[in-house]
Amino acid sequence: MENKNPLSPHLQIYRWHISSLVSIAHRITGIINFVALIFICIWVFLLFSGETNYNLIDHFLKSIFGKFIILGLIWSFSFQILSEIRHLILDMGYGFEPKMTKISGLLVIFGSFFLTVTIFMVGKNLF
Amino acid sequence: MVQLNLPKNSKIKKGNYFKDKSGAKNIKKVNVYRWDPSTEENPRIDTYEVDIDNCPSKVLDVLNKIKNEIDPTLAYRRSCAHGVCGSCAMNMGGKNGLACTTPHAEIKGDIDIYPLPHLKVKRDLIGDLDGLYKQYQSIEPWLKSNSKSEVTEIYQSKEDRAKLDGAYECIMCACCSTSCPSYWWNGDKYLGPAVLLQAYRWIVDSRDEERKSRLKKVADELKLYRCHTILNCTSACPKGLNPAKAIAEIKKMLATANV
Repeated sequence: MENKNPLSPHLQIYRWHISSLVSIAHRITGIINFVALIFICIWVFLLFSGETNYNLIDHFLKSIFGKFIILGLIWSFSFQILSEIRHLILDMGYGFEPKMTKISGLLVIFGSFFLTVTIFMVGKNLF
Repeated sequence: MVQLNLPKNSKIKKGNYFKDKSGAKNIKKVNVYRWDPSTEENPRIDTYEVDIDNCPSKVLDVLNKIKNEIDPTLAYRRSCAHGVCGSCAMNMGGKNGLACTTPHAEIKGDIDIYPLPHLKVKRDLIGDLDGLYKQYQSIEPWLKSNSKSEVTEIYQSKEDRAKLDGAYECIMCACCSTSCPSYWWNGDKYLGPAVLLQAYRWIVDSRDEERKSRLKKVADELKLYRCHTILNCTSACPKGLNPAKAIAEIKKMLATANV
């Protein structure tokens, strides 16, 4: 017999913690990076096939929207890398104390923005 | 497929408002999840005005006060009131815990009380934990030592005994398992932090002789590896245990040992 009792609320009521936030962001950036890599492959492929393509893409990437995309991707890759390092450390069995998970989570969040700015500045030859 | 929204019959409606009649000065609003199985209605949130100056310090005291003085129809599980039995596990202020050990002063603003998340509700704050108990049974949580005589004592060194610290204290209140999003979406297959912590407790017990088969049993894409170290379990545990670490240890054993 099917249980017709209601389901108690879950996602709707559960408070976010830093660790759960980093975890879901890890997944989302993972998907973004996966799609982004496909587009980067297509981009490289298009470069091989002619100058008009190059100009088109160049034009797009230099627009405000294009720059936003670039910055977003740098952040998403930065976040993924830092979070992945955190996961590696966790998988080795370290850093499971509630305080440490909070600190490492914050490091990932702030680190990703720091890394984004750094990579962007390196790319712009500002160093 | 993951269902993020609540099903139609579980959508929460606004319920009754119980105004304070005692003329208390310091009032705290308590929002409590209610569902009555004898009606066809959806669950609702009832709000109670509680005279917090004349109420002991824990959330369970608030619930007792409501049940004794305001609304006797409220249903919830409780027994020892000292954080030992695990009966009064519920979601308070957006976090799972034991009502008897959670001070209501810790919750800012209104106190929101819900049953443990993503369970079939039996009534009001009582969730159905049958699935979890079945999973607990599936890991065979008892000592298995066939070769040793059943009448002689099995010695355990202090070091080996120390391995059980942080695992044997679990009271199976289900705060951790029901805080885990992975368990919400795959609760029928994924064992969840509470049961895996117990699995770990028997795997590391030096007296147990079925270590390998125990490890083999949990080494499953769904049973074990649905843990994505979200770590809600550890932050929810009212006994200060660390199920996430226990799960990581099991994963590590599987990765390093030749099972």
